[in-house]
Amino acid sequence: MMSMFGACSKGSNKDMITIGIGQYAEHPSLDNCREGFLAGLKSEGYEEGKNIKVEYENAQADNSLAGQITDGFVSKKVALICAIATPMAQSAYGAAKDTDIPVIFTAVTDPILAKLAKDDKTPVGNITGTSDKLPVEEQLKMIRKILPEAKKIGILYNTGEVNSVSAIEEYKALAGNYGFEIVESGITATADIPLATDNILTKVDCINNLTDNTVVSSLPLILKKAAEKKIPVFGSEVEQVKSGCLATVGIDYYDLGVKTGKMAAQVLKGEKKASDMNFEIIDKAAFYGNSAVAKNLGIDLPKDLTDTAGEMFDSIAE
Amino acid sequence: MAYFINSIINIAVGVAEEGLVYAILAFGVYITYKILDFPDLSVDGTFPLGGAVAAVLLLKGFNPLLTLLFAFIAGMLAGTLTGLIHVKCKVRDLLSGIIMMTALYSVNLRIAGRNNVAIFDKETIFENGFLKKLLPESIKHYETIKRYETLVILLIIALLMKLLLDFYLKTKSGYLLRAVGDNETLVTSLAKDKGRVKIIGLALANGFVALSGCIYTQKSGFFEISSGTGAIVIGLASVIIGINLFKRREKVKATTAVVIGTIIYKACVSAAIALGLSPKDMKLITAVLFLTILILSNIRKRKVNAHA
Repeated sequence: MMSMFGACSKGSNKDMITIGIGQYAEHPSLDNCREGFLAGLKSEGYEEGKNIKVEYENAQADNSLAGQITDGFVSKKVALICAIATPMAQSAYGAAKDTDIPVIFTAVTDPILAKLAKDDKTPVGNITGTSDKLPVEEQLKMIRKILPEAKKIGILYNTGEVNSVSAIEEYKALAGNYGFEIVESGITATADIPLATDNILTKVDCINNLTDNTVVSSLPLILKKAAEKKIPVFGSEVEQVKSGCLATVGIDYYDLGVKTGKMAAQVLKGEKKASDMNFEIIDKAAFYGNSAVAKNLGIDLPKDLTDTAGEMFDSIAE
Repeated sequence: MAYFINSIINIAVGVAEEGLVYAILAFGVYITYKILDFPDLSVDGTFPLGGAVAAVLLLKGFNPLLTLLFAFIAGMLAGTLTGLIHVKCKVRDLLSGIIMMTALYSVNLRIAGRNNVAIFDKETIFENGFLKKLLPESIKHYETIKRYETLVILLIIALLMKLLLDFYLKTKSGYLLRAVGDNETLVTSLAKDKGRVKIIGLALANGFVALSGCIYTQKSGFFEISSGTGAIVIGLASVIIGINLFKRREKVKATTAVVIGTIIYKACVSAAIALGLSPKDMKLITAVLFLTILILSNIRKRKVNAHA
């Protein structure tokens, strides 16, 4: 028995630490978050396979699976849990609450509403991370700049997605400041999207997407229907602009991941404790535009926007 | 080595906890599927219904134990409606459940107010020093006990529910319930209204399911609208595993078999994750597991028939 044990520790690196990454669903933004997270860790000297072992699990948007994944991380006593998206972060917090395993979350839109941080933004426990809060105000300003005459913005969202519901509330609260009215259309499944899109297109001057998983996964259909009516569709992040939305002011999920990875590295190094760090928000949101879409719609994107763009696309990705 | 044993124990405790939460749901599925022969899909809606009730009441400062009662009542109401749709409106069993499940999605959103409600900062049935109060202060190793506190609390609740269900099934109403599933005409010949018996059964079953959802939400610390997706599958798989496993051991009560079946089911899921199977394949694994058990039980049935 002793020899087996000895062989075991000789074979693997002595300093190898195991961390668990739990991702709530499979989705380009969340995947970017994960990749950024690993890159952030690497930049601080934690490289996968070299000195850290990464256990990655995806819950495929199944809540009870999310719970089982985080319970699994806790029973394996990983050195740190990285939780991607709100329900995963909540599961991880619940599972690791009574242990000394730190939790670092990312892609949580509203950590305060999700009770992952206190009202004054301080940690509720050994947990911190980054928020992917949409820059709503910047987005409204941009739409006003591109469409000076527009009055009504249509937003489709799944009533079952928490991120969307809190974003909708913020849009409604701020729209008036820029002379807009929000026309919302709540759906509950992908199957509802065709009818809801047809309906909302008769009422609005443009459509604005959130980071709603259900809506984003049906983006090609929405774009096709909107293009037929020459109604612009705005995205909420760069991936959506790449695939055919006119423009967005959004955050880069990869950068968000990098920031999160660096926070995790500080915790792993023992420089800081998750329980002493407030969650962070990326304050720099960049403009992304698609000139091919603009041409199709006959819209000129203002030069001051395109000149400062994070990235401009001149084709629509398949 | 100690580390290894420790993590095996931790995983086993986790599986047992999950199993006990869902065992209460499985009691409900046992009543509808096994006793009433009614495939009740409203379960996917009544499970989060219990969670929504728990979240809202806890936020309002209710006693956690009281939420269990209210969740049970809410589930009974939903089950009654499924029953009324089936019996009074003469809608087929499967469709009645689907209608109720669909309606409950909106109802649950209305009750909870949002699709995700966190209750981390509220006192739940698991965090009120329940055991601490029960045990004398002098016990030194409270920290060790604390590790098993959730398990012990779940064990107490599940056992209590099992005994209550066992007791109910022995009452006159319980006998009628079993008679409806076995032989409807017998009930009619006893001059009893079989429709009413069915409604009572559905109400009771969904009461158990909502109670399970209520406990699940308190354990995980947040309510999520999608938490009921697939609840019926978990329930059915657990009931079928349990009942088939103990088919020939007549001394084991069906309710006990159901509890063990649920724990075995959850252990299979946990093993699948531990073996590194992708969560993408999880539903496929469930389906294969499910099918295997059904086939095995059919083979055994055929063998028994051949011997007879």
